[in-house]
Amino acid sequence: MSDPLASDAPSTLDVSILKDIAVKSLVDSLNSVNGAKTLVLDNSLSGPLGLITEVSLLKHHGVDKMFWLESGPLTASTTNVVYLCRPQIKYMKIIASHIKRHAQDKQKHVYHLILVPRESTLAKQILEEEGVLGDITISSYNLQFIPLAEDVISLENEKAFKELWVDGDETVIYESSQALLTMQKLFGRFPRIVGKGDYAGRLSHLLEQSRSTDDPAADTLVSAAGRIDCLIVLDRKVDMITPLLTQLTYEGLIDELVGIKNSHVDLPKSLVTPAAPSSSPQTSTGPSAATPPAHALREEAKKKYLLSAASDPLFSELRDLNFSSVGKKLSSVAHRLDEDYKARNKAKTVAQLRDFVGKLSGLQTEHQALRLHTGLSEMLVRLTRTAQFNKSLEIQQNLLATYDVPGQITAIEELIAQGADKQLVIRLLCLACLTGGGIKPKVLESIKREILQAYGYDLLSLLLSLESAPLSILHAAVSGTTGPQKYPYPTVQKSLRLLIDDDPDALEEIENDISFVYSGYAPISIRLVQCIAQKGGVLSNPAMDKDKSTSNAPQKSTLGKVQAHPIVGWKGFEDVIASIPGCTVDANLAGATAAGIPSLSLSAQSREHASTTVVFFLGGCTYTEIAALRWVGRQNIGRNFLIATTGIISGGGLVDSIAGGERDVAKPLVI
Amino acid sequence: MQEHPTTSWQAMQEGSVFYRRQQLYTLNGKLPDFDHYLVAGCRSGGPIALTRDRTKLVSLDSRLPRSTKTQIQIYSPAGDGLLLFTWDLGNIIRFGWTSDERLIILDDEGIYRVYDLQGDYQQFSLGNEAGETGIIDARIYGEGFVALTGTFALLEVKGWEGARPLTLASMGIQEPPTAWSVIPPDVNVSRHVEVLVSVDTTILSVDNLEVIDQRISRGPFTHASPSPNGKSLALLTATGLLWVVSTDFQRSMAEFDTTTESQEAVKQVEWCGNDAIVVTWNSLALLVGPFGDTLRFHYQGTPVAVTEPDGARIMARDACDLVQKVPSATLSVFRPGSTSPSAILYDAWENFAHRSPKADESIRSIRPELAAAVDECIEAAGQEWEPHWQRRLLNAAKYGRGFLDMYNATDFLNMGRALKVLNAIRHHEIAIPMTHSQYMHGSPAQLTARLTCRNLHLLALRISSYLSLKPDAVLKHWASAKIAKSRPSATGSGKDVELSGDDEVCKLIVAKFKELGGYDVSYADIAKRAWEVGRPGLATKLLDHEPRASDQVPLLLTMNEDKLALLKAVDSGDTDMVYHVLLHLHKRLPLGSFFRLIEDGGAQLSLASKLLQVYAREQNKDMLRDFYYSDDRRVESAVLCLEEASRMNDQAAKIASVKAAQKFLSEDKDRAFEAKMMDESARLHAFQQQLEKEMNEKITFFGQSVNGTIKTCLLNGLLKKADKIKSDFKVPDKRFWYLKLHAYVSMKDFEGLEGFAKSKRSPIGYEPFVRYLLEKGHPKEASSFVERCDASKRVDLYVECGDWRLAGQECKTRGDKAKLEELKRKSPNTIISRELEQISLR
Repeated sequence: MSDPLASDAPSTLDVSILKDIAVKSLVDSLNSVNGAKTLVLDNSLSGPLGLITEVSLLKHHGVDKMFWLESGPLTASTTNVVYLCRPQIKYMKIIASHIKRHAQDKQKHVYHLILVPRESTLAKQILEEEGVLGDITISSYNLQFIPLAEDVISLENEKAFKELWVDGDETVIYESSQALLTMQKLFGRFPRIVGKGDYAGRLSHLLEQSRSTDDPAADTLVSAAGRIDCLIVLDRKVDMITPLLTQLTYEGLIDELVGIKNSHVDLPKSLVTPAAPSSSPQTSTGPSAATPPAHALREEAKKKYLLSAASDPLFSELRDLNFSSVGKKLSSVAHRLDEDYKARNKAKTVAQLRDFVGKLSGLQTEHQALRLHTGLSEMLVRLTRTAQFNKSLEIQQNLLATYDVPGQITAIEELIAQGADKQLVIRLLCLACLTGGGIKPKVLESIKREILQAYGYDLLSLLLSLESAPLSILHAAVSGTTGPQKYPYPTVQKSLRLLIDDDPDALEEIENDISFVYSGYAPISIRLVQCIAQKGGVLSNPAMDKDKSTSNAPQKSTLGKVQAHPIVGWKGFEDVIASIPGCTVDANLAGATAAGIPSLSLSAQSREHASTTVVFFLGGCTYTEIAALRWVGRQNIGRNFLIATTGIISGGGLVDSIAGGERDVAKPLVI
Repeated sequence: MQEHPTTSWQAMQEGSVFYRRQQLYTLNGKLPDFDHYLVAGCRSGGPIALTRDRTKLVSLDSRLPRSTKTQIQIYSPAGDGLLLFTWDLGNIIRFGWTSDERLIILDDEGIYRVYDLQGDYQQFSLGNEAGETGIIDARIYGEGFVALTGTFALLEVKGWEGARPLTLASMGIQEPPTAWSVIPPDVNVSRHVEVLVSVDTTILSVDNLEVIDQRISRGPFTHASPSPNGKSLALLTATGLLWVVSTDFQRSMAEFDTTTESQEAVKQVEWCGNDAIVVTWNSLALLVGPFGDTLRFHYQGTPVAVTEPDGARIMARDACDLVQKVPSATLSVFRPGSTSPSAILYDAWENFAHRSPKADESIRSIRPELAAAVDECIEAAGQEWEPHWQRRLLNAAKYGRGFLDMYNATDFLNMGRALKVLNAIRHHEIAIPMTHSQYMHGSPAQLTARLTCRNLHLLALRISSYLSLKPDAVLKHWASAKIAKSRPSATGSGKDVELSGDDEVCKLIVAKFKELGGYDVSYADIAKRAWEVGRPGLATKLLDHEPRASDQVPLLLTMNEDKLALLKAVDSGDTDMVYHVLLHLHKRLPLGSFFRLIEDGGAQLSLASKLLQVYAREQNKDMLRDFYYSDDRRVESAVLCLEEASRMNDQAAKIASVKAAQKFLSEDKDRAFEAKMMDESARLHAFQQQLEKEMNEKITFFGQSVNGTIKTCLLNGLLKKADKIKSDFKVPDKRFWYLKLHAYVSMKDFEGLEGFAKSKRSPIGYEPFVRYLLEKGHPKEASSFVERCDASKRVDLYVECGDWRLAGQECKTRGDKAKLEELKRKSPNTIISRELEQISLR
């Protein structure tokens, strides 16, 4: 993982500019209100905002006090009250109730509403119905992509999946298209859009439309800087299997077992705060400090920690490792650190000593990081040792191999009887349904009955949501053409080589395929990306036998890396792609004249300049998929991946959001 | 031979500073005497608006329009009438110009209109409250205005889109201020508007937060005027003393006693650029420089000064002049005796033109500064009004350029282009006397917009193409004007004429756009215009050409093309747009036809239908219920009932909702299973109610799942009841055993557990017993169940229970030597390993 190849990767697009833009426009929005103001913040925004700004910045721009936007009275000491929220109906109602109450109490305030990401007719309508529209000045704060890492940007919309596939609310698609258009303005046009899935088609249609109405003159301005060679859009429906599985990379497992929210994880305080009195620079005061005093109480012994490669170099080495190799990595780091500390003994002269002292603070930081990650992994190890966890892994692996499906369903029933977590049960059930092409009606009914009895009858609406179109990831096996289109798992599994029989011991030594992230299963979504951007990798492991993979890409002998081939759409995989439900997108936007040529010119030019391929996950992606995609990016030279997503998801979070509840941040630490 | 530029110069401060008065246009009495009028001039060479001053008596002159109605006249700087219209609202309080050359007129009831130069207007109001108290004064600046109400409150309006007025901090004064003015937000430090009000002897600075008394004792003031850059303020005291002070009142800059010039009352105090002030009286304009030096300009009748950022325009009956400080570049070239490089360069070029060898000598002498000299000549060319001198200066620059090895000609070319455009618009028929710096300050697009407002489309188009601008804005304006003009005549012979007329106009417009490459023209706006002038046919035809679906929607809605509007909104993918249409239609249509419209749309309108559900679920449940009912969506209806049930607190209502859901589901024959489940749910609820009653409401059962109910029964010792639920709800043995196991362990009733385990053969085996006890931290009890587990697993289970001795014995009894050795290796301490040793020896 820590191979030197990763470090020499050519510079990618600088996504930090997105953060700068976000901060700037936030400051502008705040400054448009003169004087001291009380900021009332929508809870769901505090996380994303915590990633781009700090409380001190807000204070600096006149924010006097901050409150959550929630029902109940609001006591504001300043004349100006600024609401910052998403245009949701419930929030509008709360705001209206605040204003009405203030009017009753004869309190004079000036109200400003800043809607994220844009003004909304609906919000205005609600305010009008409540009779307060005239009392409030509405503006917007266009918060779009937020960089989570140097190669990951996210809209941080947790509910995207549910809104799209349960409610049918396509707002996310429109917002994504707007955010992608901003990207185009910053980094140049996407010359080509390749994608899969109905909503991906919709998004690509919107992007094409806005292009056709764009002025052609702007083209000439950006084409020189056009370093993006393709936009790959995958909607989540194309690969529902992957998020249902338990993620097995370090970061993925933390998300599964502890829960990561907006890159922050709640950890026991003892783990986060350094043992030594030296203050650790990594502890983020972002969202946790944003909590107003009234709510600070529930944070007993937990503390938020920002998981970011920028502030924690050790984490960047660990995050994408399969959990089985994390221990080894940690111990090697520990050894190195020990050596470094021992350098102290070697220091004889004053100069050497000074040199050592200079390095000391760096060592201490590293030491603290090591302590934290060791503690965290111990926590994870404890959680992964439970019988239920292992049983569920076993069921997952068997289902993926379509081995003894009835037996697995019985095992799921067993889990229900044992009182396992309902998310887990539902994830496994949906997985069984997707891989097996449905479950026998009788069996399905009895298992649904078990679920309803064990977890409550109100789960019926969740089950109905899972069953009904367009989601339909839980359905009975039906013969004939009626009913929802089945997911052709067996075909996909074979043609995309999803399962690799790896010797688990060898896995630690050589990562020769993306399947390392799920210990033997290659995520479909990333295989699809490979179908476009690394065709050789789908057919065989590039690291093992290169001969096959170099059919259309010349070999760079010394490094064992191959030159990335130009984007030619789905070529070579049309059949299997067509078998997956949802429309297939391949739009060439480079203009008619350049249609044939770019493949040639691009490959010639890309030898010197690496091009960037943007992969957009509509409906969210998992940390594991990010890890896998990073791995793909390391195999080629001349192509970097920029991962864009509507949000980071996990199977548990998905099930929760479909059930209608908010994703619980402080998930119980048991599975 | 043209007059030398310096002829218009006048020296100040003993010849160190020069001001120039350039006559732009001779008016020859085209304008009436301003003395009888209220006048507002527009910046950047814009027109002036006049209306009769009602406080003054006028002789009934035959040349004046004999109307008692209030009329507004707009004249170009060249004195040509641009527009004349009648004002039919209340008394005009104030009028002024926006930065984009539109006229704002505000009346005493708080109604204001924004007129363009075609006489079309939009009307807005300051609200009821302002209407009741009345407006007594206002100050208008480019991007907004501040009005003073009858109760002396200040109302700020930003922009010209009818924004809600914002009340500024209350001044608490009892009588109207003697003078006041506004510093616009774009030149103010705080970026918010600031109002300076002269009250008694002092001045108050007011913004939306606070009122600051500047504690000045020199008042009262009769005039207060801030400089264009907002840094200085010119004040005139009642005694006629002109006082210039910085706007933060920290620095006094100049003082000048105006009574030395004239005893009459001062008409205007305006700024000339940022460093001099024009004070006007009848037939006199006095320029007061920064150190109290003055220049006098005489005019016929009363002059009117209009502040420009780089000078002042003074208009009177006889002439329209531009007074400004001579720009440094011009000064450097033309100042008598100047030896600056640019002057020498200019001199060299003149020698060259006269074929004199001195040219070469001069150029050599300024060789090091030649590039700067060229730049200065280019700049000076921009400051000249006469094309003759512009050409000469540019020629000099071109000549100097020839001696430079590397020179970027961009500035030169840009200046040439700009001057060509400026000369065109300064022509007296167009009469936009912009200076080069004003032109650079705005944008060329702004300029073409000003031209189109005057219906000068051809010139605007030529300028656009000359400057390689997109012609779209011009074309759009042209098309709108075209439609307005080509109104089908009332004398036409019926429908056919109108139809062909529509087609013709549409074709004409589309062809023109294609020809001139207007890609970005919004047909929707033009179509809107057609609709407004009463040509729906043309509007529809034009709308078809609009590429952006979202732009078509608003017009389609006004045209009552409901379905089309909804379709286009859905097509645009903009969910907010869809909501806009949905909410609009919901308000306008009867509920039934509203639903039908959406349902009939089928898959095409599925997004609309989904969004309606999202909205209704939060805001209007009844509507959602009706919607599902009218569409026979039983499952959704049932889910809705369930959702409601989950939010209810009342038991009876909850059961009723569940039953309603059950009824909906039972009506759908594919949903027999779900119906059955709901039936069970209702039964469970009833059972729980009964349980609670039997327990005298001491234990809560209601709302728990089947598992939960069983567990609560077990924990409270109601074994019989638990059994009853098991049989009533057909709970499988396995699950029941797990529940019991969990219940016993959580009560720490290990005897009960033992009894239960022995009651019959466990359907789940005994390993779960061991595991669960271990998990809950009861290894001792756990180990007692190990012997009942599978023989093969016993050793490991014992080890997990920490019972190494039993593990060893188990190995021994099974004769598994290897396992025993393994145990020995793993043993945590010596005592255990010794014990194991003994076992193996035994």
